[in-house]
Amino acid sequence: MRYQNATAYRFLAPYLLIFSIFWLWPIIDSFLISFQATRTVPWRFAPTFNWGRLIGDPAFFNALKNTLLILVIQVPVMISLAIVMAVLLNSPLLKARGLFRFAFFAPVVVGEVAYSAVFRLMFNLDYGIINKLLNGIGLPSVDWFTNVTPAMAVIMMAVTWRWAGYNAIILLAGLQSIPEDVYEAATLDRVSKVKQFFYITLPLLKPIIVFCAVLSIIGTMQLFTEPFLITERGGPGGGTETLGLLLYRQGFRSLNFGYASAVAYTMAGLAIAISLVQIWLTREPK
Amino acid sequence: MAAVTLKNVIKRFGVFEIVHGANIDIDDGEFVVFVGPSGCGKSTLLRMIAGLEDISDGEIAIGGKVVNDVEAADRGIAMVFQSYALYPHMTVEQNLSFGLRMTGNPKADTERRVKRASEILRIAELMKRRPRQLSGGQRQRVAIGRAIVREPQVFLFDEPLSNLDAELRVQMRVEISRLHKELGVTMVYVTHDQTEAMTLADRIVVLNAGNIEQIGAPLDLYDDPANRFVAGFVGSPKMNFLAAKMVGADNGAAVVELVNHRGARLRKPLSDALPATGGDVVLGVRPEHFFDAGQGDCDLTLKADVAEHLGSVSYVYANSGTGGGREELIIEREASRHRANGDDLVVSIKADRSLLFDATGARIR
Ligand SMILES: Nc1ncnc2c1ncn2[C@@H]1O[C@H](COP(=O)(O)OP(=O)(O)O)[C@@H](O)[C@H]1O
Ligand SMILES: [Mg+2]
Repeated sequence: MRYQNATAYRFLAPYLLIFSIFWLWPIIDSFLISFQATRTVPWRFAPTFNWGRLIGDPAFFNALKNTLLILVIQVPVMISLAIVMAVLLNSPLLKARGLFRFAFFAPVVVGEVAYSAVFRLMFNLDYGIINKLLNGIGLPSVDWFTNVTPAMAVIMMAVTWRWAGYNAIILLAGLQSIPEDVYEAATLDRVSKVKQFFYITLPLLKPIIVFCAVLSIIGTMQLFTEPFLITERGGPGGGTETLGLLLYRQGFRSLNFGYASAVAYTMAGLAIAISLVQIWLTREPK
Repeated sequence: MAAVTLKNVIKRFGVFEIVHGANIDIDDGEFVVFVGPSGCGKSTLLRMIAGLEDISDGEIAIGGKVVNDVEAADRGIAMVFQSYALYPHMTVEQNLSFGLRMTGNPKADTERRVKRASEILRIAELMKRRPRQLSGGQRQRVAIGRAIVREPQVFLFDEPLSNLDAELRVQMRVEISRLHKELGVTMVYVTHDQTEAMTLADRIVVLNAGNIEQIGAPLDLYDDPANRFVAGFVGSPKMNFLAAKMVGADNGAAVVELVNHRGARLRKPLSDALPATGGDVVLGVRPEHFFDAGQGDCDLTLKADVAEHLGSVSYVYANSGTGGGREELIIEREASRHRANGDDLVVSIKADRSLLFDATGARIR
């Protein structure tokens, strides 16, 4: 038995080695680095240097506020939209289901740079299709990228466009695992379709919804691509800067790895905390 | 309470016709069982009565009112599904009351109905549990309870016992019978198990490949089946079918030769027109209708292969040997401990304890 285990570990060794060097060690090391002053060489141990700065840093609170704002608005909207999309996809009346499924999934595999470029073009002040459409129904053009509120809206719309279909596909799998005869029983119980949705579909789908929400929370906490590419590094004037962007700016522009690590650990800690609260709030009654 | 009438009911899925014109009259308060092999259209027929499937052609009436265009919810029926179809996230109590709560039934009345159902089915102590915390038999009771709570005019059951083990099946069978007596309400019950059909039904509808083969009381089907399919389907173990040939007529009786039994002949009085001499016919004999040698009208000499001793009776699996074709027969004998190892076995059959079928399977009486 011992011997067999040893053999197994020898086979696993190459993987474990790589995992340790490129995964485990950075995780541990960045934690250690977050307690070091890294602005000047040599780095020195200073436990409150970065964490102390974090607590009083307006740039951090701005990024935190922006991230949480996106989280609080975009995630619920996207999950609701994904549920609606999943229910429509699951409808027996729908033709060409395979095509829709592919179309919903496609945004995820589109290159980030290409997708960001297209969104910038769509929301362009003078030539963008969005403003043309607004003008078409008699509304004035919106200067999407020079004001904070519209810029935030663009980011939320972009993220929603990219991930709603992905969540819808996951939710669809959950929907399909609910047996048809439960709905038939409810129909015979004279329960309307709308009530069936709220009293049967939603409760039975809850674990999947929570799963999607946790995935989305983790994803949004790390939000980087959209504010980096679509609103040009958190513009206007840091109005859409997220924690991910702040981390990037501190770590890879200013090469201040200690502070970047502290931000990274804050992001991870918040993602875990929010997810746990989410899971706890929606736990099954015993 | 209500009668259920099916008039020329046809069901098509796309181009496939699954039910070919069913005519069934179910009386008020009657217990009718649809029985037939898997895939013959029993569930489809039941689901059309429930309103869960459209009717392609024909007419279904419940309580004298044509319901073709009436929503399932408004037909006054309740259905018990094979898979129970309980709401998995609700307690037993919530499962029972869900429909009534959702439709704004007065609270006191809902509570009364739930209490009554839980008493009838003896599930009062399960009320706070969820379906996954129940055994198969308990889930089945809850499913039936949910139907009772609706106080329907007609109960529909789709193979409700097929997921239970043999012992529980017998127990629940008795309970369903008791329920029918207690509620006195019309019940339509679908099963592929002829024993369930025989024990539960006031009348049985035998289905085969979307056709109704015969409708009748259990023992009428057993004694007087309309054709070879019904004869073979009703009764356990199955009826034996012996290949035979018309060899002549004798005073209004047919004389048939059992071709696989060394020319053994049986004289069978018939009231129908006699089949043509030389034509192929089939003689049906139930396992319990073989007698000791010399006691009947025609003796058969067989080789016994295997015996199954059930205690009360024994079943002998025998064959007709090598004379002509080889025919396997099942014969019920008095209980014994005798091991059959290729022994000779002589049994006798009686003309009035055997049935004659023509080559198409139609009964010749
Ligand atoms: N929704 C459907 N679409 C197409 N064919 C179906 C459908 N439901 C049932 N059938 C077919 O109808 C026949 C009868 O089915 P069913 O009524 O379920 O049989 P049973 O309950 O007697 O086993 C089967 O051949 C089955 O394949
Ligand atoms: Mg069936």
